[in-house]
Amino acid sequence: MTSQPCWVSEQGVLAFVEGDLEPEAELAVARHLGECEECREQAAEFRALEDAIASGAGETVRWHAFGTPFGRMYVAAGEAGLVRVSWAPSGDEEWTRQLGERFPDRPVVHDPGNAVLVEAESQLHEYFDGGREEFDLPIDLDALPAFSRRVLDALLHDVGFGQVVAYSELARRIGRPRAARAVGNAVGRNPVAIVVPCHRVVRSDGSLGGYGGGVEFKERLLTIEGREDLLRAG
Amino acid sequence: MEGFGPELRAHVRRMMGSADDAEDVLQRVWITAHRRPPEASEPGRVRSWLYRVATNAALDRLAADRRRRTALEGRPRAVAPDGPAAPDRILEGLGPEGRRRVREHVARLPTKQREAVWMRQVQELPYDEIAGRLGCSEQSARANVYQGMKKLRAELFDVWKQEVTS
Repeated sequence: MTSQPCWVSEQGVLAFVEGDLEPEAELAVARHLGECEECREQAAEFRALEDAIASGAGETVRWHAFGTPFGRMYVAAGEAGLVRVSWAPSGDEEWTRQLGERFPDRPVVHDPGNAVLVEAESQLHEYFDGGREEFDLPIDLDALPAFSRRVLDALLHDVGFGQVVAYSELARRIGRPRAARAVGNAVGRNPVAIVVPCHRVVRSDGSLGGYGGGVEFKERLLTIEGREDLLRAG
Repeated sequence: MEGFGPELRAHVRRMMGSADDAEDVLQRVWITAHRRPPEASEPGRVRSWLYRVATNAALDRLAADRRRRTALEGRPRAVAPDGPAAPDRILEGLGPEGRRRVREHVARLPTKQREAVWMRQVQELPYDEIAGRLGCSEQSARANVYQGMKKLRAELFDVWKQEVTS
């Protein structure tokens, strides 16, 4: 452990480096840094760290969470739009850990006032209440592999409210008729649940198939869209 | 403003420990002072402003040196590759390896500390806003940033110090 033999604490040194001190205190600490080698070292290291953190950071990912009839729901967005909509049943800690793994070079911060996230919350509420059939939200799928992006784009643009499509049919629509399994994987890893309607993809035999959030969620979403008929078939 | 020159020179020399390095730093201070002069005009304010600019310029110079010699840049380098650093090279950014290390360490911080550090260092948010987003007091927001930075400093700098001294 390093001892702190002087009147400026490590936290005080950090406050100086951050420009978080009143002018008089700032001047006093500045002069102290001229005299105390230990504090000067601390300050230089904090300064190097700040610079390193800021220069190593990609574009910020902002997230927000809110209650829905389906449980606590999480949404995340970058500058270009929504990057994630999901249920993360194990809580905020697990959710931010997952986001950090998905976007390892990007700062992940809670931002409940972000315009896109607030809008997503309100449109999702409308959808759950049966008052919205289409989402009008910017979506950013750029972090995904090109194939997944094609699959999800097709789903987003061609499969509307209350419609369903088979994995094999979706494969045919993107011009890869023999890639039904790969299409299934891409749909299964859809990062933007509900808004990109992966719940509208079913098996060609008419059964529901799986769903990332649990098949009971898929049933409830299809019920919202007036497709109770499909539930009996499954 | 130039009236404060002698005491500023003494201050920067004390910080840098080398007269040559001090002159480089002072040159940057005067360039900054002429490009973006202080808003205040009372001598006391001008003085504290000059001290802030000079101290930060000196710290940047020391920080670049720290960075080169620590875990932030992978292996410590014995000598600067191109001889003494020219003023515009002082703040050169980290290489990809250094950035990766920093990200890894930030990612391992507890959630609140990590978010507080990102908000403060990358988004440069004021503490009242950080407190609002974290749902805590301003004091606790400061404490989270401090605890996170303290941990990063210990991990990224002390590890290296132990390596070279052992």
